[in-house]
Amino acid sequence: MNIIVLIKQVPDMEKVKFDREKGVIDRKSAGTEINPFDLNALEAAIQLKDKDDNVHVTALSMGPPSAESALKEAIARGADEGILLSDRTFGGADTWATSLTLAAGIKNIGIYDLIIAGMQTVDGDTGQVGPEIAELLDIPHISYVSEIEEVGSKFRGKVDIWDGTYLKEMELPGLITVTKDINDPRLPSFKDKMKSRKAEIPVWSYETLEEYLNGEKIGIKGSPTVVKKIEVPKATTRKGKLWRENIDQAVDEMIEIFKEIKVLEG
Amino acid sequence: MFFYFNFMVEPIIQRDKYNPKGKISAIMVEPIINIKFKEDQMNSKIIDKMIGIVGEDWVVSSAKEVESYIKDETEEAIAPEPCYDCIVVKPRTTEEVSKIMKYANSEKITVVVRGGGTGCAGAVVPVKPSIILSTERMNQILEIDDNNMMVYCEAGVTLFDLEEEFKKHDSLFFPVHPGDEGAQVGGMIVQNAGGVRAVRHGVMRNHVKGLEIVLPTGEIIKTGGKLIKDNTGYDLTHLMIGSEGTLGIVTKAYLKLYPKSSNSGSLLISFDDKKSAIEVVPKILKKGITPLAIEYLERQFMEKSADDLGLKWPAEKGKVDLYFILDEKKQDDLYEVSEKIVEECEKNGAVDSLIAETYKEQRAILEIRSHGYPSVQSQVVDILDVCVPIGSINDYMDGIEMLSKKYNAYIPSFGHVGDGNIHNFIITEDGTKPENYEDLSEEIFKLAVGLGGTITAEHGVGKIRNSRLKLQYTDKHLDILRQIKKVFDPEDILNPETGITSL
Ligand SMILES: Cc1cc2nc3c(=O)[nH]c(=O)nc-3n(C[C@H](O)[C@H](O)[C@H](O)COP(=O)(O)OP(=O)(O)OC[C@H]3O[C@@H](n4cnc5c(N)ncnc54)[C@H](O)[C@@H]3O)c2cc1C
Repeated sequence: MNIIVLIKQVPDMEKVKFDREKGVIDRKSAGTEINPFDLNALEAAIQLKDKDDNVHVTALSMGPPSAESALKEAIARGADEGILLSDRTFGGADTWATSLTLAAGIKNIGIYDLIIAGMQTVDGDTGQVGPEIAELLDIPHISYVSEIEEVGSKFRGKVDIWDGTYLKEMELPGLITVTKDINDPRLPSFKDKMKSRKAEIPVWSYETLEEYLNGEKIGIKGSPTVVKKIEVPKATTRKGKLWRENIDQAVDEMIEIFKEIKVLEG
Repeated sequence: MFFYFNFMVEPIIQRDKYNPKGKISAIMVEPIINIKFKEDQMNSKIIDKMIGIVGEDWVVSSAKEVESYIKDETEEAIAPEPCYDCIVVKPRTTEEVSKIMKYANSEKITVVVRGGGTGCAGAVVPVKPSIILSTERMNQILEIDDNNMMVYCEAGVTLFDLEEEFKKHDSLFFPVHPGDEGAQVGGMIVQNAGGVRAVRHGVMRNHVKGLEIVLPTGEIIKTGGKLIKDNTGYDLTHLMIGSEGTLGIVTKAYLKLYPKSSNSGSLLISFDDKKSAIEVVPKILKKGITPLAIEYLERQFMEKSADDLGLKWPAEKGKVDLYFILDEKKQDDLYEVSEKIVEECEKNGAVDSLIAETYKEQRAILEIRSHGYPSVQSQVVDILDVCVPIGSINDYMDGIEMLSKKYNAYIPSFGHVGDGNIHNFIITEDGTKPENYEDLSEEIFKLAVGLGGTITAEHGVGKIRNSRLKLQYTDKHLDILRQIKKVFDPEDILNPETGITSL
């Protein structure tokens, strides 16, 4: 079985700073890492590989040349190979242009049974890229999967959404996006980490993918949506209030406050 | 009469706890009743005096609220019996602290300073009717001086505050990290806290450069400053460090900062047996490799701790782990150092080596490690805190093995193997003292001291190790310590029966 895992390199969100004035993420303010949900996607693939020697895992990413290190990291964590889609013309892509480009990369890989992606990225939070790719490839997809099971030739995914739990089945080839509940991503062994540093990561440019891409529909040119501004809500600080005299009034006021901040039902 | 309620403090939990049906009035009224009816416990003259100094809102005298200020993290079985007849006073300024001490000294009232209450030797537990002076409001970081690489802050700043502040800082950090981030700077100074990162950076003593101190008699003195060298007179800064809240009250401190390196990584290296893991540590240090931390961790503890936190301990192979925290200037250096460590460990029988590099993954390991003690706290009778010279660590562990056989006891080991400070646990099903507790612990202390070690490396003597001091010090030595206490605190009002004073 051939599995493709989609990987995005994101800034380390624990450390990243936001430029409130400009409404953008200051990407230089922090190191990078693999999008945490993508680590769950990779782990899901590696667990299938643990069970079956015939599973081959390819990590695929679109990004700047520096995203090579994320793919090497994916290899350290168990992927068999990594492929980077990188070209100036891919830059500034929204979810739609990203999906078109990644779908082109997948078509160029050619043979695949299962595509696994994280449910969303921590620097974009849309959750759209996975399902969009499935639609572009015209294959079935299940999003927000927290458990998977192979049932004959089909894949069954458990999906917790709103108050319900769904069991969804799909034929292969298909695509799933996974939540963080699906597994605990393993740490790479030091040996694999060292080996992965020497791994060669092929870089596919626009030229490589030309037969699957329309130059007008990729990168910033092909992006119908733009992020105009990111509003970072100010952190709420503790507030206190002191009542010294009229306790009955204090109780009334507090009940109102509780209603307002919705800790009191009815 | 007053009434205070902070509505941002987890109101849902409060409602569930006190009044599941959702009627809210009971929560509101309860504190008032307590505050007003229990005032007569301690002399109301003292309470009035304290209110006069810090204001009505910052004096707590209800038994229920005082209760949360009279214990620390010492194991139940060996913790001192706290005295409930206390009031809590929360000054905001050094001047208020000074006024409190002047009054207490003139009236000979016992004062116990309370920091974060995370101590593990009962130092902060009042054993006589006392004014508990809580530094929680003295919590300002006053200056971060990038040029001198120092932070100047008040004593009540918590380790959590410091960590948060320096997480944001571009280039500097403060290296000491004893496990519980509720600990305060003042408490960490007078306990000379160590913690995991001591292998490279040493303990608090290496980083405290100056202090503002209120003496038990109420006078204020200042020591040191933003200086690397200072030889004027006896060094009172260093006398305060490790004084366990008995010589004076630290109100402000200058702490040394260090440049961050952006390439940090954590290695978890697993072994099938304890001996192989321990043996390799001095070999690594001898090679000139100095990680931030080298911790020795027994697997079943870590799995229990991880479970408690809803996390997973990453290592699976083997039975014990060495946990290295590394921090290097260049990424290549990080891998090079890691490679040397892994190589040495493999020569010594390591069965697996994992590396964590993301902030989140490294943080998870540290969190599980830090939760190691709390996760078994209900079973622990005593966490011994001895330290031996790093070259003697193998002999020490052999000795523990022998004692474990002799007493037919399971004595797990845990902690800072990189600086010779292994915590051994005396443990029972329910945390009650076993019959042989005194003999067993005494033998462990003697084992350590016999190897040139100490009975307490970082938790202090507090109110639980006083009777063991003679294992380590001569009468003359103890006498000098007692004389020093007298000079600082002639009326013996500041945290009596702690450290040295009760002998
Ligand atoms: C889970 C856990 C892990 C721990 N791990 C470590 C570890 O690895 N290494 C280590 O060294 N310790 C460790 N500790 C112990 C503890 O965190 C330290 O001893 C800490 O430094 C105490 O700080 P505190 O503010 O909580 O002090 P408290 O417990 O409040 O007080 C301790 C003593 O200091 C005095 N004091 C407090 N503030 C002042 C002040 N401003 N002026 C004068 N006296 C004062 C008190 O009177 C008391 O005598 C651990 C504790 C826990 C609970």
